[in-house]
Amino acid sequence: MTLQECYAAFGGDYEGVVARLRSEKTVKKFALKFLNDKSYDLLCSSLEKGDYGEAFRASHTLKGLCQNLGFSRLLESSTRLTEALRYGWSAEAAGLIDKVADDYRQTARAIQQLDE
Amino acid sequence: MQHMQKQKILIVDDSEMNRSILADMLGEEYEILEAEDGVQAIAALQKHGMDLSLVLLDIVMPEMDGFGVLSVMNKRHWIEEIPVIIISSETRSSHMERAFEMGVTDFISRPFDALIVHRRVVNTILLYAKQKKLVGLVADQIYEKEQRSNLMIDILSQIVEFRNGESGLHVRHVHILSELMLKELMQMSDRYKLSRADISLISTASALHDIGKIAIDEAILNKPGRLTPEEFEVMKTHSMIGANMLKEMPIHQNEPLVRVAAEICRWHHERYDGRGYPDGLKGDEIPISAQIVALADVYDALTSDRVYKKAIPHEEAVKMILDGQCGTFNPLLLDCLTNSAETIQRELSSDSPARASQREMRNIADEMVRHEELAASERTLYLLEHERMKYRFFAQMTQETQFEYTVSPAMATITPWGAEQLGLDELIMDPLNDKRVRSLLNEGDWQRMIETLHATTPENPTVTHVFKVNQHGRWRWSRIIIQSIWSADDPPQYTGAIGKAIDIHDSQAKMDTLERMASHDQLTGLLNHASAKKQIVKRMESSLDSQFALVIFDLDHFKFFNDNYGHDFGDRVLVHMAEKLRQRIRKCDIAARIGGDEFLIFLEYRDDVEPIIKRIFSFLSGNYGNLDISISMGIAEASLLGADYDSLFHAADQALYIVKRNGRGYYRFYNNMMRDVLSRISPIESEGRPSAHHPHESAAGSTEEEDAK
Repeated sequence: MTLQECYAAFGGDYEGVVARLRSEKTVKKFALKFLNDKSYDLLCSSLEKGDYGEAFRASHTLKGLCQNLGFSRLLESSTRLTEALRYGWSAEAAGLIDKVADDYRQTARAIQQLDE
Repeated sequence: MQHMQKQKILIVDDSEMNRSILADMLGEEYEILEAEDGVQAIAALQKHGMDLSLVLLDIVMPEMDGFGVLSVMNKRHWIEEIPVIIISSETRSSHMERAFEMGVTDFISRPFDALIVHRRVVNTILLYAKQKKLVGLVADQIYEKEQRSNLMIDILSQIVEFRNGESGLHVRHVHILSELMLKELMQMSDRYKLSRADISLISTASALHDIGKIAIDEAILNKPGRLTPEEFEVMKTHSMIGANMLKEMPIHQNEPLVRVAAEICRWHHERYDGRGYPDGLKGDEIPISAQIVALADVYDALTSDRVYKKAIPHEEAVKMILDGQCGTFNPLLLDCLTNSAETIQRELSSDSPARASQREMRNIADEMVRHEELAASERTLYLLEHERMKYRFFAQMTQETQFEYTVSPAMATITPWGAEQLGLDELIMDPLNDKRVRSLLNEGDWQRMIETLHATTPENPTVTHVFKVNQHGRWRWSRIIIQSIWSADDPPQYTGAIGKAIDIHDSQAKMDTLERMASHDQLTGLLNHASAKKQIVKRMESSLDSQFALVIFDLDHFKFFNDNYGHDFGDRVLVHMAEKLRQRIRKCDIAARIGGDEFLIFLEYRDDVEPIIKRIFSFLSGNYGNLDISISMGIAEASLLGADYDSLFHAADQALYIVKRNGRGYYRFYNNMMRDVLSRISPIESEGRPSAHHPHESAAGSTEEEDAK
């Protein structure tokens, strides 16, 4: 899968990100790096523990990454989750967690299928 | 140097990805330092200081967030020197507003765009560099401007003088004289509330005192002989004319220089008693500027050649002025004149343009020091950085743990060597509640340290403690010296402390050895008398329900060994006895060599002491080589005499004496009968060394043996 196809698969802004980061090579490097990023894991584990302060920070970080990498779909859901967690647990957060998880899995799976 | 090195940028973000995206965009041109939370950021700021050209700062972070970093940067005034750009995805206006209020320069919003990031970073760094340069430029310009206006004044007064036919030095002399006398006046009295700026202003304006003469007819101005009363009236108008010229200037009327110059022009011929002109002002109705210039004018006129007279020497001129021959002056100013007489002569005689400009430089330098905004020039920053480097170097060399603690924010920084030694970070937030910091000392020691620190005052700020410090699980003795730091407020506020901890464990161990050496007999390794006594007294105090016996024994005919086989042999016998003694006594017993060939044993027992004594006695008697060793022994029991050391010692000594007198070679318990017997033969006079009471014993040689050693 090319980088462009990959972005199309998980709903990302390919043209935007390449324009901003100046080269496809850079974008690809960071997209692959995203797989090793800990913020999603931290989000899940802190939600499990009920540490919503930590969950907010993790979600906030994830959102920031998506912004930078142009992962539009995951950006949208993580942004909403971040706002839902800003002042601790909220009812909307519950519904958003699954959405973020779905989007994350989709994004990660597509990146894994990138051509060498 | 600075330009050859890459400039340093600190990126503070808890996401490694974000940091590396930014590093990727900037890494080619800049040296990138990274911090993953606020605490690390502060540590990096602390370490690199003004070396950092820029901080890129995230807001939402664990430990300490971006606002925390900004607040520390504000408290430490770092924000004034190091620009900060916020890189948070927080774009809510309340956040942005707060960040701007805290001194940030710019925002870079997400998503990061390589071009924008690059441009903003370059701009901000350039802007700050430019600002620093501008500070320097402003300083230069102030100097230049001052130079230029002095030049203009010089030209103007030169014109006046030229017309007056004077040498051209008069104006300069009046300037110098005014300045010197004003400085003296400032030190003598605060009556005129003179500042350095006032002095500079008055002495500069003094150059214009005679500009009114430009309107006076040259025939009168340069008349060699005495002026007629009419001519003098014309001459007198020059003061008012000068003042009016300045007052009627279309612009600059409100310039302090112009105002003061007008004062001087109009009133520099007034006299303190009201008999001057043009207004006949009296005393301090005359502005101090005009009073000073009047005096300077008169002095210089007297001491210089004029068309109508020859120069008069300094002493004579001063005398004439003091005598009132030139009119009456403010007595305080006359004091200034006499006090600064020496300086005046020196400065006037060595006056030259170069020297004058030197003096000006000095004034300008003084002036600049008082402008805080100019104080933080590049040179100051360089010096600061230099000091910081020196401090780091020495801190590394000393192998001491140095630390600094600030109350607000509650934060401790530790030198790298010390941090490693203690297994701590170099920067610790809220250290007094930090588990690892708390585990450095025992809780009791912490309390003591905090209490003593709280008891310090600005006059008496230092405390010293010797505590055991936990270094990676090993408790080592350290000397801790702390000085509390106080603000310059009135009253001073406690703001923190600096201190150092020195590992003295090894020297402490040496002390322990020395102490041990001092408490033990060097020959035999047994306790010496003094420390045995101390231990025995302590033992009797602590185990009240036990029985005690104190035993003293010596070697029979020890002098014989010494005399016939030499002192070395005698010593070996003593070591041998001590070794045997150590083998025989129990752990709870106390054994000592109390001098010469005399030994002491202290026994604690429950039922009957005699079997124990018997065992020890027969074990100690016996052979050494092919020599027969016999001992004499006296024993005193606490059950009879009470648990008092001195009584027990005396009693045992008396029992030993009886044994010695009656043929040696056996042991004997003290009983009450002995006191009467002994007091008849040899009354106990003092509590000194036991052997002193034994005429026989002395003959047997124990004291000689001791002396011989």
